[in-house]
Amino acid sequence: MMGRLYLPQDTSARAVGADRLAKAWEKERGVEIVRTSSRGAFYLEPLVETDGPHGRIGWPNATARDLPRILRGEGGTLLDTIPFLAKQTRITFANSGVTRPLSLEDYRAHGGFAGLEAALRSTPEKIVEELSISKLRGRGGAAFPVGRKWQAALETHADRKYVVANADEGDAGTYCDRMIMEGEPFRLIEGMLIAAYAIGATQGYIYCRYEYPAAARTLREAISILTEAGYLGEGALGCNARGGGRFTLEVFVGAGSYVCGEETALLQSLEGKRGMVQPKPPYPAISGLYGKPTLMSNVLTFATVPAILARGGAWHASLGTAHSKGTIALQIGGRVKQPGLAEVPFGLALEEAIEEFGGGMAAGARFKAVQVGGPLGSLFTKAGLRTKICYDEFARAGAILGHGGIVVFDQESDMVGLARHFMAFTADESCGACTPCRVGSVRAREILDSIAQGRGQPGDLELLADLGETMKQMSLCALGQRAPYPVLTAIEHFRKEFR
Amino acid sequence: MSRITEILNREKAGTSGEGSPPNILRTLLAIQSELGHVPPVAVSEIAEALGATDAEVAGVLSWYPDLRTQPSGRHVVRVCQGESCVANHCGRILKGLEKKLGIGLGETTRDGLFTLERVYCAGNCAASPTVMIDEDVHGRVTPETVGTLLQDYR
Repeated sequence: MMGRLYLPQDTSARAVGADRLAKAWEKERGVEIVRTSSRGAFYLEPLVETDGPHGRIGWPNATARDLPRILRGEGGTLLDTIPFLAKQTRITFANSGVTRPLSLEDYRAHGGFAGLEAALRSTPEKIVEELSISKLRGRGGAAFPVGRKWQAALETHADRKYVVANADEGDAGTYCDRMIMEGEPFRLIEGMLIAAYAIGATQGYIYCRYEYPAAARTLREAISILTEAGYLGEGALGCNARGGGRFTLEVFVGAGSYVCGEETALLQSLEGKRGMVQPKPPYPAISGLYGKPTLMSNVLTFATVPAILARGGAWHASLGTAHSKGTIALQIGGRVKQPGLAEVPFGLALEEAIEEFGGGMAAGARFKAVQVGGPLGSLFTKAGLRTKICYDEFARAGAILGHGGIVVFDQESDMVGLARHFMAFTADESCGACTPCRVGSVRAREILDSIAQGRGQPGDLELLADLGETMKQMSLCALGQRAPYPVLTAIEHFRKEFR
Repeated sequence: MSRITEILNREKAGTSGEGSPPNILRTLLAIQSELGHVPPVAVSEIAEALGATDAEVAGVLSWYPDLRTQPSGRHVVRVCQGESCVANHCGRILKGLEKKLGIGLGETTRDGLFTLERVYCAGNCAASPTVMIDEDVHGRVTPETVGTLLQDYR
């Protein structure tokens, strides 16, 4: 029997046994193992695939003993018929699970570099205009209009400009940047190349978090492959481009600080200093790394750019809701049946995300609350589940989409413990540059500690609300401004537990 | 020449022509990746080589949670405490590990084999709960299976 088996190389697939399968099968005669990226349907991992007459056929949750029946073609499922995958609108993640992460051949065969080619045929001004038409907003959490940022970096004159990808994906519950870096690093780099050409940058950095060693390794290999192939280095962007068309790229690994995901702190860290948040303005697009104009976006944002250049800003603006254009990579986790990544146009109700993609609650679990947007995101109860996943409805609910993380909690979750966990996180991670966050988070954690130990005092909850208001209004960055939200929404929805 | 001096020479030589001065964080990470930690006694030598003050180097060293000033055990076991792992009751995994290893968070076993720490999200949220051992990520860990995981590292 002969067979080519596709097996993901993604960290989460490996975390549940993909490497064990590869090792068990590598010596089998007639078996060729091709390591690909992951589909993001992590509840199915390890997911083994083969080529079928109507597309890939998958064997979910495979074990080493499944090899004979996989080779005989018994019991597989046509990938395109799995509702979790079929119901998505995959653009940035279109090649997830299909291609080999470091194969230029695969990348080109699946539409790679079409965006860069379109950009190089265009002018910097037209590229920025296309991004403005697309209405793309930063996907890292702050949701700033990308076109405006590029415009500012383009208009600022300097002898040197930088492009920086924020790969400090620190929001717990999110992993879409990791999937891109490990699964299709060329797409991120293509987005950065387009940015470099548009603003006239000659040097780029990818600031990758310490917790993602596999992503950093893959990126470094991708950079050396692209340098070899002439996409990076001298004249990469054509000799007539500004800066001589040179663009070099480097991976910089951080050392475990959450606040370094904030753009000004990240730049401090990239310069090798303590990751302290800086007041804005000046904005990095005008004065960033080493005081030079620096175009910085999150990984997912850069990875969205090639498709916009290839297919046009108007196409991107046709997806989503009135003020939230394009797709969002929902990362559904916690106590759901089907944890994984779902790329969908904005506008889906939170309930649909949990039911249709998350598959509802895991066996034995009852829904208690859901947190959207990482450790600084608000909690929702059943009553809030009709909220549509888009910037304006979330803003009206006093909530954030952040980086697209959705974590579902079950009936066994203790809300006081959870609130304390959130505030302890902020107290640990506060950079200390501003007093409301530095002191406020510690005081709030102390109050929550005493409530958790049954020593709560009358007036504690009012004090927490007051402290929270001060932090929201007076903190320097989103960490302090947003930290009170998960705690205060926990109190609002589960007041009885806080006594 | 000590290993630290070698690394410092490399950092000085490798500074690119892009106008980026020697980088304290990158240097400390390079030292840590070779020695396993950054000895605080080396702060002055590092500062002098990079043209920085002792305070600048010590400030960076104390700022980043993943920079160590003490050697760790041979393997670092990190229990994820990100939200998805919390929702999946990772506290039980931590308790199981503490019992199995006989140490608490931040401590190293007496045989020097394991250091127990936590991590705020390993990005494995769709296969929670997560335990990282060195660079290996393990998913869907249960209090029952967590002990078996350690066997492969003994």
